Amino acid sequence: MRFVNWVVVYGPNYLSGLAWTAIIALTASLGAIVWGGVLLLIRLSGRRWANLAVETYVQLFRNTPVLLSIYLIYFGFPLIGVVWPAVICGGLALVLQNGAYISEIFRGSVKAIDLVQFDAAKSLGLSGWGTFRKVVLPQVLVYGLPSLGGQVILLLKDTSLLSAISVAELTMNAKLLTEQTGAAYEAFVVVAVLYLLLVVCLEVAARSAMRAVRWRPRHDAL
Amino acid sequence: MISVEGLHKRFPSGLEVLRGIDLTIGDGEVVSLIGRSGSGKTTLLRCINFLEEYDSGEIRLDGTPLWYRTATGGDRTRLPESAIRGLRQQMGIVFQQFNLFPHMTALENVCLGPSFAHKRPEAEVKDLAQRLLERVGLGGKMRSYPYQLSGGEQQRVAIARALAMRPKVLLLDEITSALDPELVGEVLEVIRSLVLERMMMVIVTHELRFAREISHRIAYLSRGQITEIGPPGELLDNPQDPTLKEFLRRMP
Amino acid sequence: MLRLLLLGACYTLGLAVAGITCGTALGLILTPLGFLRLRPLRALYHVYVFFTRGTPLLVLALLIFYGLPVLNFSQGPYVAGTIVLTIYSSAFFAEVFRGGALAIQRTHLESGRSLGLPPWAFLRKIIAPLALRYALPPYVNVCVMMVKASSILSIISVWELTLAAREIIERTLLVFTVLGIAAGLYFIMCFGVDRLGRRAERYLMQRGFVGERA
Repeated sequence: MRFVNWVVVYGPNYLSGLAWTAIIALTASLGAIVWGGVLLLIRLSGRRWANLAVETYVQLFRNTPVLLSIYLIYFGFPLIGVVWPAVICGGLALVLQNGAYISEIFRGSVKAIDLVQFDAAKSLGLSGWGTFRKVVLPQVLVYGLPSLGGQVILLLKDTSLLSAISVAELTMNAKLLTEQTGAAYEAFVVVAVLYLLLVVCLEVAARSAMRAVRWRPRHDAL
Repeated sequence: MISVEGLHKRFPSGLEVLRGIDLTIGDGEVVSLIGRSGSGKTTLLRCINFLEEYDSGEIRLDGTPLWYRTATGGDRTRLPESAIRGLRQQMGIVFQQFNLFPHMTALENVCLGPSFAHKRPEAEVKDLAQRLLERVGLGGKMRSYPYQLSGGEQQRVAIARALAMRPKVLLLDEITSALDPELVGEVLEVIRSLVLERMMMVIVTHELRFAREISHRIAYLSRGQITEIGPPGELLDNPQDPTLKEFLRRMP
Repeated sequence: MLRLLLLGACYTLGLAVAGITCGTALGLILTPLGFLRLRPLRALYHVYVFFTRGTPLLVLALLIFYGLPVLNFSQGPYVAGTIVLTIYSSAFFAEVFRGGALAIQRTHLESGRSLGLPPWAFLRKIIAPLALRYALPPYVNVCVMMVKASSILSIISVWELTLAAREIIERTLLVFTVLGIAAGLYFIMCFGVDRLGRRAERYLMQRGFVGERA
C-alpha cells in the first residue's frame, strides 16, 4: 500500500527523467548505427591500414568499460578546450562505444551475404560506393536486425551510467528522490520497472521491424 | 518377431500420419519401408522403438506388448520409464546423421551403451567394442573422433554402437541418404553382412536397388498406410497399387 | 599513482572472479528451472532472467546497495558488490547454459535415449559435455562482461580500478594519462580472459570437434 501511495505521489517526478532517457537512448542509438556504418565502410574500403585501424578501435572499446569512456570525454574534453554539456559528452561516449559493437554486428552480417552478389554487382558495373549503398547496406541492416535490437537495449541500459556525470536521466531521478525522501527501496524499484517497460517497448518495436522486413534466419549462418 | 497392429498416430497439427498399420516381421527377416516423404515410413520406424508416441494400436516384441499397458477396461497407460528404457535396449537404431557423440572417440561411442545400460565390466565392454569395430572394418580407427571420420565411417561406427547392445532388431532410418555417393557402398556392405547373420531389420530407405537385393519383403507406404507389401521381385517389378506405380516411375 | 591503479585492478579482478564464480553456481541452479515440465516454474525462470537482464546494472546495484541494510545485512561494499555481480551474471550464465543445452542436436539426444541410458548417466556423459562445448564461447563473453561491469560498482563506492582512476583525476587532473593507464589495465584483463577462453576451447576441440568459433 505504501508502495502504491509512493508511486501516486512521486510518479510525475520520474517523467522528466524518463523522457531524457528515451531521447538520449534513441539519439545515441541512431548515432551509433551511423558510426558503426562508417566504420564498416572504412573496413570495406580495402585500404591496407583501414582494416587494422578499425579492428584496433573495436578491440579497444570492446575491452574497456563504458564508464571509462564517459569519464574520458567528460573530464578530458574541457582540458583540451572543448566544453560541452554533460549530456553531449555522455551521449558521445555511448555512440563511440556502441558504434564499435554495431560495426561488429554489421561485419557478421556482411559475411552472411553471398559472395556471388559481389560478383554480380561488379558485372553490372556498380562502383564500390554503389555496391555498398544498394547491396551491402540494406542486407546488413536487415540481417543484423535482431542483434541491433539487442544492442539498442544495451545502450538504453548504459544511459543509466550518465547519472555518474550528473545527467538528469531516470537513474539520476531516482537518486535525487532517494535523497529527498529516504525511500530508497520504492524509488529504485519504480525505476527498475520503468526501464523494463522501455525494454519491452524496444523489443516490441524490434519484433515489428523484423516482421515488416519479413526477416528469415539464414539456414547456413551459425 | 515384431508385430504391429492397428497403429494410428495423429500429429498435434491434426495431420493423421499413421492410419492403421498392420505389419509382422519375423525373426531374421529384413523388411524395407519405402514411400514418398510424409508417407509415414520414418514415423512408423520411430514408433517401433517409441521415439514417437502413438495414439492407438499395439506393438509386440516376441508376443510381449510394448510401451503401454492396457487395462481390462481398455485404458492404456505408459509403462514406467525404466521399463521403457529396458525395452529400448533390445532394439538398435541408426539415424540419418549426427549419430555419434562428437566428444567421444569411436571406441568410447560404442562402449557407452553396454557399460551404462548393461552395466558390464569395463574390460569386457572394451573387448566387445573392439571386435565390433573390426567387424565393420574400422579396427584401426578406434581412437578417432567423429570429425576425423568420413560420413560412411561414422555411419559404420553408429551401426557398431547399435550392435553393441545385442539388439533383437535393428532399425535403420535412411542411413545412407546423407552420404556422398562413393561412401554409400561401404555402409551397405556392412548391412549385407548383417543380413547373412540373420539379423532382424527394418530399413527405411530410398535405395531401391539395395532394398531389392537384401530385403525379404518390401512395404510401400502411402499416406499413412501400407498399401502394398511383398517380396521385392513382385512389388518392384509388378506393382499393383497405382500410387506405387507412379512412385517407381519417378525413382531411377 | 601507478601502484594505486594496479591495486585497483587487483580489486577489480577479485570482484570479477567472485562474481563469476558465484554467478556461475547460481546460473547452474537456475538453468534446470527453464527446462522443467511445469509451466509456472519455467515462467519463474523467464521472469527472473527478464528482470535481471533488463534492468541496468547500476539500478540493480543501487537497489541492492540500499536494500541490504534494510535486511540487516551490512557486510561492507565488497560483499554487496559481489552480490550484485552474482545476481546480474547469474541471469546471463543461466541463459548461456540453456543455450548450450538447446544447441545439442536432436539425434544425439535420441541416440542416448535409444541406448537406454539411465538419466543420471545421460546427463553426465552426453548433455553436460556437449552443452559445455556449445556454451563456452558465450560463457567467456559473459566473463569479460563481468570484468567491465565491475567498473559500474565504483558508483556505489566500491573501491576498484575505475574509482581509483576517478579519485586520482579529481586530485591531479591528469585525465588522459590516468584513464589511458586504466583503460590499458582493463584491456589486459579482458583480453586475458578472452585468450584463456580460447585456449580452453582449443583444448576441448582436441577432445572431439563440437561447434564452431566465429
